[in-house]
Amino acid sequence: MSIDSPSRDQTHSPGDGPHDSPEKVDGRERLGVWLFIGADVVTVGALLFTYLYLRAVDTAGHWMNMWGYQGSLHTYQYWANAAANGTLKNPTLIHVGTVSAGLQWLVAAITVLSALLLWVGEKGLRANKNAKSFSATAVVAALLPVVGIIFTAVLLKDLPQIFVSINDSNTMSYTTYDSAMMALLSSTIFHLVILTFLGLGLSIRAARGVVSGDRWYQVRLVRMFWVWVALSSVVATLITTTITSTH
Amino acid sequence: MTTTLEHATTMAQPKGGGLARHQNFATAIVAGVVLAWVGWFLGRHLFWNGSDNWSDQVTILTLLGWMLGFWIGIGAFNAPFQWLLGRDNTRADNLYYAGDKQGRMRYWKFTTDHKVVGVQYIIVTMGLLAVGGILAMAIRTELITPGTHFVNQQVYNSFIAIHGMVMILALIVAVAGPWGNFVMPIMIGARDMAFPRLNALSLWTLVSAATVLVGTLAVGGLPVGWVVLGTIANQAGPGMDFFAVAIVIFTVSTTVASVNLITTVITMRTRGMTLDRLPIFVWGTIITAALALYAFPFFFVAEANQIFDRTASTSFYVAAGGGTSWLQANLFWLMGHPEVYVILIPAVAALFEISSTMARKPVFSYRTAVGAMVVLAGLSAVVWAHHMFTAGWAPSLSGPFMVTTELISIPTGIFFLVLVGTLWRGNVWMKLPTVWMFGFIFNFIVGGVTGIYLSDVPLDEQLHGTMFVTAHFHYIFVGSVLFGAIAALAYWFPKVSGRYLNEFLGRLSFWLVFSGVQLTFGAMFLSGLKGMPRRDASYSFAFEHTNFISTIGAYMIMSGMLVLLGAVITSWRSGEPSGPNPWRANTLEWQVPTPPPLENFDVLPVITEDPYHFDETTVNA
Repeated sequence: MSIDSPSRDQTHSPGDGPHDSPEKVDGRERLGVWLFIGADVVTVGALLFTYLYLRAVDTAGHWMNMWGYQGSLHTYQYWANAAANGTLKNPTLIHVGTVSAGLQWLVAAITVLSALLLWVGEKGLRANKNAKSFSATAVVAALLPVVGIIFTAVLLKDLPQIFVSINDSNTMSYTTYDSAMMALLSSTIFHLVILTFLGLGLSIRAARGVVSGDRWYQVRLVRMFWVWVALSSVVATLITTTITSTH
Repeated sequence: MTTTLEHATTMAQPKGGGLARHQNFATAIVAGVVLAWVGWFLGRHLFWNGSDNWSDQVTILTLLGWMLGFWIGIGAFNAPFQWLLGRDNTRADNLYYAGDKQGRMRYWKFTTDHKVVGVQYIIVTMGLLAVGGILAMAIRTELITPGTHFVNQQVYNSFIAIHGMVMILALIVAVAGPWGNFVMPIMIGARDMAFPRLNALSLWTLVSAATVLVGTLAVGGLPVGWVVLGTIANQAGPGMDFFAVAIVIFTVSTTVASVNLITTVITMRTRGMTLDRLPIFVWGTIITAALALYAFPFFFVAEANQIFDRTASTSFYVAAGGGTSWLQANLFWLMGHPEVYVILIPAVAALFEISSTMARKPVFSYRTAVGAMVVLAGLSAVVWAHHMFTAGWAPSLSGPFMVTTELISIPTGIFFLVLVGTLWRGNVWMKLPTVWMFGFIFNFIVGGVTGIYLSDVPLDEQLHGTMFVTAHFHYIFVGSVLFGAIAALAYWFPKVSGRYLNEFLGRLSFWLVFSGVQLTFGAMFLSGLKGMPRRDASYSFAFEHTNFISTIGAYMIMSGMLVLLGAVITSWRSGEPSGPNPWRANTLEWQVPTPPPLENFDVLPVITEDPYHFDETTVNA
């Protein structure tokens, strides 16, 4: 390999500063975020594949139906005792129904709203260089996902469990629809927790002057991920609220 | 001109000390154990069922506690929380975290220098190979004669599963881990990886995952095979929880590593290092990283679903609840077949590099070789269903999947052509890396051709589930990838240690391992052709002789690997000094001192031509 003399900008600059210019670091980190988003696209895609696959195969008609007894973890002991005493009646086919579409869309809307808020904050930071104002915007954007987490937790809590007793083995179970929803809702919570962390970080950093009108590139990185989370939230909600029944 | 190291020595060290500066592997273990106990304690109180101290919920919480504690203890969370609080590292901090002036202790810490991470990967890979190898010897010893000997079927199945997955993990990182980290950044003229902290994170996350995976043995093993089919995995003991958590953690490690490798190559090449001047090993590394980035999230979801099934009463794979093991099989193999090429491509790319240097010739048809790697990676994403030909999933798709699988033989055939073309009429330098490379070429032919048989649906109907399949993929993984990995070790060992890998011991190891592979897996082909099923601890007397030969061969492989280990240890301590460029190679890693200094280059080079131009003096060297 033939090696030529270095140009001045490629020599090692003295002092405590980084080797590369902020522009280079920005470009590098942007690519890194895009790649992480790419991996996340596959992950969310695999979760949606799971949802659609289970719906398509609808094994033994169990997508939203299950033979058993309506219950929850709190009533497990009641049913278990009934099973043990032999007083359990014949199981009935329980139809679980879909989880609240309105609440799902509300979570998606909250995520989109927080993304828009961060975007507006970023534009303001870059235009008028007001870091204090951005700090306030970022903290609101960070708190919105907390609201989303609460609503998602409510959705998770409302997934109906069914008591099943098969060959003397007693357990609580979810239909495959509820199973797929549980995975997707858990993924939503995971993403919203990350958004909260990132939003709070930006807010604190802006308040401390680390993020400013001249140093805003990390805001853009976070916004890129935030927009992806909002987009994935909308796509997932669209699928899980429109493609539900097997017929 | 002021150099990097002069900066390091004249710069004020970070003030104070604090807990963060005392974090290392030991504190990671301690914190991991403490938080594992907290997880167990919480789990036992939240999910106490009156009798079981180790229900699935308790086990999962314990393992998550271990992972979290390990990360905290090693220092993985320091930077994110510093970022949260708006306190960025100074350059002095960064030098400290890069291991500056910390001697050997830096190998036990969350060190960000890519060369330290590379050496750490070598150690982790050797550790994983040792565990997987011991289990392999236990399996072969059990099979030496018909009948069950020292393990029952359950334990045997556990050995198979853990041997399989530990070896897969080991081979995934065997080339891309050590050399993608140690030499690749230098090869492209970079001072470090794009994200040095993520680099350390990927390594220590792998350690955390490997610990959990090997820990499976301590909790009753994993008697469900390495593909952990959904329906039977639901019935497995806590070992299945360990396996699922290990895979989830491992996926984090591969994702982080892949992002880092790709970003480094795309954004940190030195001036003049255009894409068509990239050393071909670098191409292999980023193609592999891209493939891993696509494939491993499927594994993550497959095992996350398993965790939900076992802890939260969901029905992903539970037939009684409407679940289906086809879902698990699809998610697993969507990862499983690309993973074969995540393992293979870096080894092949390293051999391209070695063949060019040792034959003093350019890589034959460089662009075709790169194209073949890209095509192979792309094709690997559309062949997964061939693993389910005989199981009966979507029979109407068997034809298309047979075609895509057979197409794989085109890029892999190109690999042969490139290797042979590079060596053809070259002044081949028969040093240790070259010897292992020739071993690879022979074994890969055998493994590749038998793979074509298995891609054919009618023949697969006969051979699937027999030892023929086991022999085929061991010719690929052991005979090919391991040989490529050892060739890479022999080639770059002088850059890491400043010494040659002992030539005599290395060749002795080669002949033992090479002969052992032919005996073990050659005889295994015969067992399979005669119909011997896989995954059985006992077998008919009809397979007695071939199994005896296989076990003798396995002992030869083990002997050879022990000789190689001896060669590595003795050479590292007192081997023949090699100087900075023992192979007179042109790639950049050989142009820097040995061992390379922190940040590699005083002055970043400017590249004016590709690295495969050998002049007369080097041709006759």
